[in-house]
Amino acid sequence: MTSPTDNAPHAPRRAATPGRSVIFRILRADGPGGAQRWEEFKVPIPAGANVISCLQWIAANPVTTSGQRTTPVAWDSGCLEEVCGACTMVINGKVRQSCSCLIDEYAPGEGDVITLEPMSKFPVVRDLWVDRSRMFHTLQRIKAWVPIDGTYDLGPGPAERPADQETRYVLSTCMTCGCCLEACPQYKLERDPENFDTAFVGAAALSQARLFNAHKTGRDLKPDRLEALMGPGGVNDCGNAQNCVQVCPKHIPLTESIAAIGRAVTIHAFARFFRG
Amino acid sequence: MSQHRVIVVGGGLAGLAAAARVAEAGLPVDLFSLVPVKRSHSVCAQGGINACNEVARQQGYSEYEHFDETIYGGDFLADQHPVLEMANMAPRIIDLLDRMGVPFNRTSEGQRDLRLFGGSLFKRTHFAGATTGQQLLYALDEQVRRGESEGKITKYEFWEFLWPVQHDGRCVGIVAQDMRTMQIRAFRADAVVMATGGCGLVFGKSTNSIICTGAAAARCYQAGVWYANPEMIQVHPTAIPGADKLRLMSESARGEGGRVWVPRKKGDSRPPHDIPEPERWYFLEEKYPAYGNIVPRDIATREIFDVCVNQGMGVDGKNQVYLDLSHMDADYLTRKLGGILEIYEKFVGEDPRHVPMKIFPAVHYSMGGLWTQYVKGSYAPAAPLPKHKSGARPPLGAEPGQGMQPGAPTNMMTNMPGLYAFGEVNFAYHGANRLGANALLSCIFDGVFCGQSVVNFVRDGAPGKAPAAGLPAGPYDQVVQGESDKVARLLSSVSKGAADPATNPYIIGMELGEEMTAACTVVRTGPRLEQCLRKIADFRQRYAAAVLADDAAWSNQALGYARAVGDMIALAEAIAKGALTRCESRGAHYRTDFPERDDARFMKTTVARCDAAGGSSLTLEPIDASLIAPTARTYGKKDDAHGKKDAPKAAMAGVS
Amino acid sequence: MFLSPAERCVHVGKTIGFLERNHFLLRRLHSLTGIIPIGAFLIVHLTTNSSIVWGAINAQKGDTPLARGVNTFQHEVAFIHSLPFLILIEVFGLWLPIAFHAVLGVYYARTGSMNTARYPYQGNRRYALQRLSGYAGILFIFYHVATLRWGWTWLPYSSIFNARNAASTTALALQGGTEGLQFDGVVVSLSYMIGVSLLVFHFANGLWTAAITWGLTVSAAAQRRWGYICATLGVVLMAMAWMSVIGFATLNAADATRIEIGTPSTHAGRGAELAPELTSTQPGPDARTPKAE
Repeated sequence: MTSPTDNAPHAPRRAATPGRSVIFRILRADGPGGAQRWEEFKVPIPAGANVISCLQWIAANPVTTSGQRTTPVAWDSGCLEEVCGACTMVINGKVRQSCSCLIDEYAPGEGDVITLEPMSKFPVVRDLWVDRSRMFHTLQRIKAWVPIDGTYDLGPGPAERPADQETRYVLSTCMTCGCCLEACPQYKLERDPENFDTAFVGAAALSQARLFNAHKTGRDLKPDRLEALMGPGGVNDCGNAQNCVQVCPKHIPLTESIAAIGRAVTIHAFARFFRG
Repeated sequence: MSQHRVIVVGGGLAGLAAAARVAEAGLPVDLFSLVPVKRSHSVCAQGGINACNEVARQQGYSEYEHFDETIYGGDFLADQHPVLEMANMAPRIIDLLDRMGVPFNRTSEGQRDLRLFGGSLFKRTHFAGATTGQQLLYALDEQVRRGESEGKITKYEFWEFLWPVQHDGRCVGIVAQDMRTMQIRAFRADAVVMATGGCGLVFGKSTNSIICTGAAAARCYQAGVWYANPEMIQVHPTAIPGADKLRLMSESARGEGGRVWVPRKKGDSRPPHDIPEPERWYFLEEKYPAYGNIVPRDIATREIFDVCVNQGMGVDGKNQVYLDLSHMDADYLTRKLGGILEIYEKFVGEDPRHVPMKIFPAVHYSMGGLWTQYVKGSYAPAAPLPKHKSGARPPLGAEPGQGMQPGAPTNMMTNMPGLYAFGEVNFAYHGANRLGANALLSCIFDGVFCGQSVVNFVRDGAPGKAPAAGLPAGPYDQVVQGESDKVARLLSSVSKGAADPATNPYIIGMELGEEMTAACTVVRTGPRLEQCLRKIADFRQRYAAAVLADDAAWSNQALGYARAVGDMIALAEAIAKGALTRCESRGAHYRTDFPERDDARFMKTTVARCDAAGGSSLTLEPIDASLIAPTARTYGKKDDAHGKKDAPKAAMAGVS
Repeated sequence: MFLSPAERCVHVGKTIGFLERNHFLLRRLHSLTGIIPIGAFLIVHLTTNSSIVWGAINAQKGDTPLARGVNTFQHEVAFIHSLPFLILIEVFGLWLPIAFHAVLGVYYARTGSMNTARYPYQGNRRYALQRLSGYAGILFIFYHVATLRWGWTWLPYSSIFNARNAASTTALALQGGTEGLQFDGVVVSLSYMIGVSLLVFHFANGLWTAAITWGLTVSAAAQRRWGYICATLGVVLMAMAWMSVIGFATLNAADATRIEIGTPSTHAGRGAELAPELTSTQPGPDARTPKAE
């Protein structure tokens, strides 16, 4: 039922032309809700270039292909090694991190075009920079933490079987980048924070709920999490398109998490019905 | 109590740990971060976090030996008491993280698994896959989020720290700017914790995140906070060169059998596999027959640098050498090194199982940072002890309070009362060289141990009598005005005319990085450093006339970067001057004109103070080395007096 | 702070409607009704209808395949129409569940926005097709029930179904007249072919997603295995669906009528089981009504 994921390491690629220039078509906006426009930049490509290095070049040389001076393109970035999640954007129509997007793979020939767009499921701050605060808000909504007794030394945590640790570790590598949400047909742009508590939480948060439900102490908040996920915007809003697992850069088994939460709320609902 | 507030600047491990501890004590916390805290640079740490543990203890290890290793690894440049306290607290910190739900790797019995790391002969490094820093950061992030949902912590994300506000001789708040709305405003606080990390971007490309400009530290420095040991910059031997940054390639690649080489013929352009064995120069194996490719970090770094920069023997004439795993079984490599090989594959597009990796040293960590003080704990040997022997009874147990006095208000406070420095921005723990997997420890130790000091300062110190909330607005308004003027000056430079590279902040920043990398990293000499200082003066002049390309009043990243360039120049000067002043070689600092360590003159802390013009004046301050007597840092060479060479196998074999 | 979903809505200051208050129940009922009764009925219905091709109930030696099919189909239809309180069963067991599933389905489908152009993964295509087949299925089921069950003859290409002459009237409906397959019939038959295929997909794929929704299949491997089972069920149902449509579209209605007339007498006592209103209905190939003006 599954096709090879989109984020698998790339097969040997077409040889890239050294010393070439590549056209960047960038969807820009000066501010939230502002009109978007396309601008094109011709960028010389050194060896090992990625989208970030090209955006850095544009920042230092903000001139469009038509020779017009413009402002540097705004974008979000951090670690540049695909572990912080900041530099997520839509490249050639698909969401991914821009730091790991190698120009040699995407535009091996002279004059090849790469399009950059901001993620469409989050309000644009400026240009390619979007506001993903809803994702962090959602982590509050599902109480994504272990309710410890405080930061003083109170002895070790619970022992854990290696298999359980491996399950949790993978889930815990989620960097809140938003790829799964951008590709999700059920996740929609929501500008109003008032609606954050009832809009769809998306795959990332469902997977985090599973992560904390799997921890011996984190389990204490499981009923709260499940109640939150039974309501509007919870797990039932998933449409099972399963794009999330295809685009997750960390190969997190998001669809398994969704099913696991589905099972948990089913059991929880029956238990609540009969137990009161 | 409720009228008091604490500001934490920086949302990495140190900042989050501090915020959690201070909030837990009942003080409201305002947490400022340039990025959502979950994206802080701590996320990049891979290896693990050191702490004595029961398995190692039963093999003869102890907290004391951890302390001893850290002092030795730091080449005796660190004040010793804080390091002792940190090593003693380490196991408790691991327990705390464990309770927070960090998915530490487990043994078959469900105990925390351990791995071996540089600078120790015992398995004392706890780890969570190959992303320990990420896992630790997330655990603390979650606790802070909990505090946030309970109303104890308020986050200001995408806010940039601009300047500390002082009143009556102490720090009473900060001025910050929202980098989305560009609003500049003052925030009052009774104590401010700087947990703003390192300064890798001063060197242009490094293993650091794009946000690690060191600007926040540099601003404190320019506001009068002392900056200690600026010259101590750790350069990691193996990183993947990239057009935007240099990505770390873990030491374990060499540990598993990776070989470092270049073609013997200068400029040999053949693909690596077409170069026959006799025409390859395995220079590390040739120069260090005993250790070969697994020589210590600083030696490997210097040799690779020498081959490329001095001899021009780098692969394809560039600054890169081969790190070759392709002679090994691909399945074995995937099993042992899968994670890091995937990083290489992802970012270079070549499979290191079949093609040799191209690597080069990269700036990795700043041991130096804001100068901080502490109150000594109870441990006071009659005379400094010699280097500890594994298995020998440690001279003291690991109860808290022997290295530093718990809760003393001045622990890790800078010379500006009320302003603290935690984590990488604090110079206190790593001396002249940081041991692998000690960075995460020092961050969290600062947060939870010294966080208590912040609380006590607020309650019992000056703020107890005069809370910042009740102070006059004058000092705050003044700093806001100053920062607004700075911004206005930068924005007014915007012209739509042709760009001049001489005044383009991005070009200035790039050239600064190139110059600092060339003069102030692996190999340093007096004349080159003097030249570097002249260039920095030149950069300063060019920067004064900087022209921005964007005057937007909304989300202006060009402004943020341009402003940071000015601060990076100030820091760069302190780094270069520190390197020039230190006429010896110690730890990460290597002077070809002074290749030996000189304890008599330079077993001292370099302290940089900023003058009104932004220049620095340096002094050398004595170090408290009353616990361990300095010895030569030889790492098991034949003349190593401690004869630990036979011990490792037994110690390593004992743990799975 | 523990909040139920409803309290949560109140907490964020939203007026909560019926849908929010009963969010979980409605979602799960929507999922459940798709399987029981609708899915179950689909299986029965397609089994019955395809019997026109494979039918062998009460077959006599020497019966032609046509006779076997017509007899079996007639037998099944007669049985269904012999059920007591059929109209109540239909209303509460079928029409209301279908309406419920359809109305909520449209509402839920409209919460998403398809993006198969950018993310052309197989799963995403099925997601899109699930919704499109739902929309189309509503139209198809409405037309199908309205014409053949409720006898809304004003609908285009409609004709009356008569349970007493089940096979022949169905064949006439699909063929567009008594003269064999005609243009009208091609339109109707194609619509049936497409409509019923989409519904079979909708059911098979819905069965697959329901297992995830309820948490029966958690691991990717389990989802894959269950996927094979659903796909197999889909193929079987699809085969029966096509058998039915092709079977009726190519049936010789006149011959079928003759067999049907003989049916009660061939199998004595059968007619007694038929509901009175059915036995009194005048059968015949001329039952097709004139097209609505």
